[in-house]
Amino acid sequence: MAGSALKRLMAEYKQLTLNPPEGIVAGPVDEENFFEWEALITGPEETCFEGGVFAAKLTFPSDYPLSPPKMKFTCDIFHPNIYSDGRVCISILHAPGDDPMGYESSAERWSPVQSVEKILLSVVSMLAEPNDESAANVDAAKTWRDNRARFNEIAHQTVRKSLGL
Amino acid sequence: MPVVLLERLPLPSLRTYVTVSVLLTSCAIYYAHLAQNVALGRISDPSSTQTNTDGAPKTPPTWPKTSEGYFYDKIAILIGEGWCVWALINMAYCCLILVGKLIQRIVFGKLRVSEQQHVKDKFLNFMFYKFIFIFGVMNVQNMDEVLLWCTWFSVLCLLHLLTQLCKDRFEYLSFSPTIPLSHHVKVLVLLAVIQTNCAFLLLLSVFVGYVYAGINIFAFMAAECILLMTKSMYVIVRYAIHLWDMNHEGVWENRAIYVYYAELIFELATLSIDFCHHLHMLLWGHIFLSMASLVICMQLRYLFHDFQRRIRRHKNYLRVVSSMEARFAMATKEELEDNNDDCAICWEGMDTARKLPCGHLFHSACLRSWLEQDTSCPTCRMNLSDPSERTTQAPVTGDINGNEPRPDAQNNDLQNQMTNHFFHFDGSRYVSWLPSFSVEVTHTQILGNGLDVNLAPIHTSQLDNMARQVQEVFPTVPLSSVVDDLRMTHSVELTIENIIEGRVTIPPAGFPSRTHQSLLTTPASATTPPPGGAVPVPMGSGSVPVLPSQGVNLLPSLGGAAMAADETRENGADLMDGHDGLNEPGARNLLLFGDSKEEPSAMYGHRFSKSAAERETMLGRRKEHMLEQARRRFASRQLSQGCVDDNSTSYASLDHQENLYPSLNVDSAIRFTSAHVPGSEASDGQQDIANSIRERAYLAAQRRMRHN
Ligand SMILES: [Zn+2]
Ligand SMILES: [Zn+2]
Repeated sequence: MAGSALKRLMAEYKQLTLNPPEGIVAGPVDEENFFEWEALITGPEETCFEGGVFAAKLTFPSDYPLSPPKMKFTCDIFHPNIYSDGRVCISILHAPGDDPMGYESSAERWSPVQSVEKILLSVVSMLAEPNDESAANVDAAKTWRDNRARFNEIAHQTVRKSLGL
Repeated sequence: MPVVLLERLPLPSLRTYVTVSVLLTSCAIYYAHLAQNVALGRISDPSSTQTNTDGAPKTPPTWPKTSEGYFYDKIAILIGEGWCVWALINMAYCCLILVGKLIQRIVFGKLRVSEQQHVKDKFLNFMFYKFIFIFGVMNVQNMDEVLLWCTWFSVLCLLHLLTQLCKDRFEYLSFSPTIPLSHHVKVLVLLAVIQTNCAFLLLLSVFVGYVYAGINIFAFMAAECILLMTKSMYVIVRYAIHLWDMNHEGVWENRAIYVYYAELIFELATLSIDFCHHLHMLLWGHIFLSMASLVICMQLRYLFHDFQRRIRRHKNYLRVVSSMEARFAMATKEELEDNNDDCAICWEGMDTARKLPCGHLFHSACLRSWLEQDTSCPTCRMNLSDPSERTTQAPVTGDINGNEPRPDAQNNDLQNQMTNHFFHFDGSRYVSWLPSFSVEVTHTQILGNGLDVNLAPIHTSQLDNMARQVQEVFPTVPLSSVVDDLRMTHSVELTIENIIEGRVTIPPAGFPSRTHQSLLTTPASATTPPPGGAVPVPMGSGSVPVLPSQGVNLLPSLGGAAMAADETRENGADLMDGHDGLNEPGARNLLLFGDSKEEPSAMYGHRFSKSAAERETMLGRRKEHMLEQARRRFASRQLSQGCVDDNSTSYASLDHQENLYPSLNVDSAIRFTSAHVPGSEASDGQQDIANSIRERAYLAAQRRMRHN
């Protein structure tokens, strides 16, 4: 199956290069393996993550785009929907049958028409508006809700760190 | 388990091992030489035993001799002496390992970590099972026989490992579009060599079986050979298909079918041969209730399960194919022209396509592989389970003969989801955050419980589709409310009417959106006080009452949620204050979204090089550029902020800053205007995306405002 996945990834890479969405750069870490990508995401404006550049790794399955890729931030990031090890928990990355209770409507979940670009844009909007209902990092969700100043402070540190300053 | 144990053994490095082996062998040869000289000396001149041990190697052979006889004598001495034999055997293994290593160097170069791991696992497993075979099944007592078997298996093992390497390498090479042809040629040549060797070994086994050992031994040997042959043949076939596909312009419609059937045939062949082989061992060995029979029984069970699984998956596949062909007609020429778009699954042009009832077109192959795991349209999520299947539903579901036209839709889905998860289960993918297999199985049960409160069951994707229609009319009404109402009404029109008449309950502020789980009362949400309801309900907690096993797995996170709920009750007032802050940034997004066009971020884009190296450097440069820009912006912002207050870090609650520090206000005003500076080099696509983000932010803000 890797053949069709490869073609599709190539097409996506081309599109992301020719027509990059604002604040997002993504591509294979190494041309020898098209199934591992690195993406840089700029924190959305006017949010506590503003200005940061966050690196994430995308790992594609060999039957992509039938199954969603996995996404993991390689930098520290304190966010309700990101596990402390960096894994991203958003509905678009969940396979259709993945959800045991119809908790997320399947419309928001993975389908082959989704793409790397859409994933990254969803992540940007997730950074802007955390969804603390399905918290991956309970600690972050609590801080975000109860102690916004503290959350912003941590976020600011993350931004600074992500820039290597 | 044997692997784990063996992995802890300290293995010497190859260099040490080779050195030791060479030393040992030369010692043995030296010893033989010595012994020969002594013997010869004794024969030629029994009195002069002064050709002593020290001088022996240096004494030139003075006697007349044929070199052949000399050589054979030496061999005879070597074989006669126990430790010499072992030294020679050891040397033979050393050579074998060196040969293997050499092939690996030539064909594969440096091994990747996963390949090393695979080879190691494979090797240890092979050793374990062959040990069981030799001593457990064959119960070989005679040393010579043991040696013969060992030789046989050593050669096989080498070939197995090389096949494994070829397979891994093939999979890896197929991940990249830029592989020089020589790589492929090397691997393919190696595979061909393996095939030839297998054929040779097969002949050997026929010979041995026919001449010496009888039919049973022949069967054992032949099974091993054939297994190896099928494995390497499979890699060759896959390789051929892949190479053909890569050098083939456009879409190869039937590729998926070839790949699928190649996989099916080879997998079934391997499994059945292996199964027979093990069964033969068990029956022939007469070794019931021994350790060996236990191991073989386990292996048999495992093989049988695999076989069954594969067959079931194939049935599902056939069902999907036939149902697809029956229900989704090929699109006509006009439809294809009207559509004028690429297939959304593979992003390639369509010469032929199938049309779904919703009007979306896909390649036949693409659609089939998707339908194997889901029953909705990839683009619009319309439910595609057969309505006729639904009406003809009958309790007869376990019909193995397949006489039943098709199982009903609900069972269809159930089967689909179960089989899917059974088959497409990629441990690492799900296991990381989903508790267990049972999650998938109960999915449909919960759907049943949750959805058909008193009406006919309604499929989720259908529900979502309807919900989307409603949301198009009322974007401000949260999806959760729409879905909840739809579950009652089952009709878009009725729900719309309900919304207009204000009969739809819209959750209070603080529930940002999506509260599906409110229907399935969960322990966590039950303790949630309504106004400050934004408690982090962990994923899947709603299924706790239904599914104990999952509940156990989720206990820790549940505890966390309950704690959070407690705290919420205590700090209720604080939380309410927090909400104002929560709502503010969204509203501001609406005004200030999408500026920062100050730098030409696209300056390295707009060109997609054909050369891999150039692409890589360009990507690297784009990344660097982005980081640099971000740093610069950050620094300037720090500067402008620093003159007012160094510690001001709370960006989100901007309204605070606005009131306290007017200078910041000016800053954002400037940025706001800069967003509309003409000549920002954004392409149309970028603009679209920026628009879509802005629109999303706008909707979110609108929703919040309404709640307030
Ligand atoms: Zn297609
Ligand atoms: Zn559709």
